[in-house]
Amino acid sequence: MSIQIKEISKQYGSFTALSGVSMTIEAGELVALLGPSGSGKTTLLRIIAGLESPDSGSILLHGEQATHQNASRRGIGFVFQHYALFRHMTIFGNVAFGLRVQAAADRPSRAEIRERVQELLHLVQLDSFAKMYPEQLSGGQRQRVALARALAVRPKVLLLDEPFSALDAKVRKELREWLRRIHDELHVTTVLVTHDQEEALEVADRVAIVNHGKLEQIGTPQAIYDRPASPFVYNFLGDVNLFHGRLLAELSLDKRSDNMEEPIEGVIGFVRPHELEVSRDLPEAQKAVLASVVRIHAAGPRVRLELSIAGNGRSVAAELSRRTFEQLALTPGEFVFVWSQSIRLFDDAGAASLLLDQGAGI
Amino acid sequence: MSGHSNLPSSAMLQPSALQRLGRAALIVLALLFLGGFLILPVVAVFAQALSEGWKLYFESIRQEDVLSALRLTALVASLAVPLNVMFGIAASWAITRFDFHGKNLLITLIDIPLSVSPVVAGMMYVEVFGLHGWLGPWLSEHNLHVIFAVPGIVLATVFVTFPFVARELIPFMQAQGSDEEIAAVVLGANGWNVFWRVTLPNIKWALLYGTILAASRSIGEFGAVSVVSGHIRGQTTTLPLEVEMLYNEYSFTAAFAAASLLTLAAIVTLVVKKMIEVTSGVHALPEEEEVES
Repeated sequence: MSIQIKEISKQYGSFTALSGVSMTIEAGELVALLGPSGSGKTTLLRIIAGLESPDSGSILLHGEQATHQNASRRGIGFVFQHYALFRHMTIFGNVAFGLRVQAAADRPSRAEIRERVQELLHLVQLDSFAKMYPEQLSGGQRQRVALARALAVRPKVLLLDEPFSALDAKVRKELREWLRRIHDELHVTTVLVTHDQEEALEVADRVAIVNHGKLEQIGTPQAIYDRPASPFVYNFLGDVNLFHGRLLAELSLDKRSDNMEEPIEGVIGFVRPHELEVSRDLPEAQKAVLASVVRIHAAGPRVRLELSIAGNGRSVAAELSRRTFEQLALTPGEFVFVWSQSIRLFDDAGAASLLLDQGAGI
Repeated sequence: MSGHSNLPSSAMLQPSALQRLGRAALIVLALLFLGGFLILPVVAVFAQALSEGWKLYFESIRQEDVLSALRLTALVASLAVPLNVMFGIAASWAITRFDFHGKNLLITLIDIPLSVSPVVAGMMYVEVFGLHGWLGPWLSEHNLHVIFAVPGIVLATVFVTFPFVARELIPFMQAQGSDEEIAAVVLGANGWNVFWRVTLPNIKWALLYGTILAASRSIGEFGAVSVVSGHIRGQTTTLPLEVEMLYNEYSFTAAFAAASLLTLAAIVTLVVKKMIEVTSGVHALPEEEEVES
């Protein structure tokens, strides 16, 4: 079932939670709403669920108007950050709840309920936990029960509100891979709210980035990562080196690019650490800057260098493969040349973006 | 005895002789106070009640007036307590689950019966329902008796016990939050199902606790009931009023015998209350939120 979000706005007193957000989520898609806390992503999720009502705008579920429909009639499954399991019911009772409260005419028989609950507990790999109570389970297990409970009523839309944020890093990683597998099995339209960019990029078909109540960008994880539409998105997704216009001017920003007729004042340039190249010798036909190696983090698959640009002392991070690092055999205190094949520029307002990818020096 | 023994760090670990002495003195003081002001009087009630022997004790209790006072007290409690339970749940549900204008006013109003003297509460009812009160003439035209009759006693008792259930439930329900109820709604439950299957099972111990407190107060209420009752023996006299009347008539043994019934009721309440605390964890320290397994 598709979800259409049209011009949704929501105000809490003087705080604007959402202003004019529109997007369409296709049937069977898994979309992550990603943003910092207070960005409005949870409010948007709760509006889709019917737990909040928007000040203006509309929600269409499967093409039908649902803006003022009661949450209990929308046919959605909702998974909460803190599980919200019924503490006085067994795991079986929790999963069966949605079936048991259906109107007598629609309610499945006891045997059918039993069968459905067992099927779901099997799906979430908690077959033997049916008779236990939530407090006897670990956080990860509880969240799996919460998911089984949400799926029991065969929702057309599954909404997850930061479902893994209360769990530790390892369980979190396991659960999100597992969520993706379940999604591939069931193909239920899913919206996942998260502030964890790694989680969003790894799990979702498309990622919607929300900031200050506005949709910044929506696209596939790769598109978002490779072509951020705004400085905010660039900053939010992974590490980035930021160069201000003045700095670029000092370093004689290359004018060969077709997009750059003359230097623009107040430009911000972004380069990801792994896009920076480092060498001991001045590269041919490249404009490079001289920097000293401040620190080397060699634990992990990639080696991270903290560099300090000679002259202005600005700190820059670069990431090298282990092989390159070993070939260079760098030590702290050394001077190296740093350059990038590409740099992404935004003007002050963050509106226009230019990609200089033809050997622009920094 | 070391001169440095009262350093805070060592005090926590190794009490010095002086500190042990101080602690013992405090305990003895507390026990003396408790004995003199609580236990002794309670014992005195039973001693006085039984001073003429068990036979007279039972005879005093079996007097028609005492029995009828006992019945009236039971009747009043059995009406006032359910009313308060209903009001308490409704008020706490509204206050903890919804945002509305005048919410703070409602919270303040709930506390009024605790701050107003019961005598004043009784007089308010006389002013409203009494023969010369606002509604009195209309009521007497329709042959309805509120003041100096059972309905007035019930009303006064309800007023005085108004806050007990609500005050017990509101902090409890606030701490519990509404996540489970929202989850139930999203799963398709209607309001009725949410209440009976999710809310009530979660608040049952706090509710029982508040109910016990309300019941205990409605059995023992004197001031407000005294004003509206009219002290008609065998008709509008509750047990606390009967105790006072017997005492004023110098029937000490009978007065203390009736008083011993109220004392027993209070002791039973305390025991039940303690049992609820132990079995349910109501009023225990809140469990620490488990973040991860």
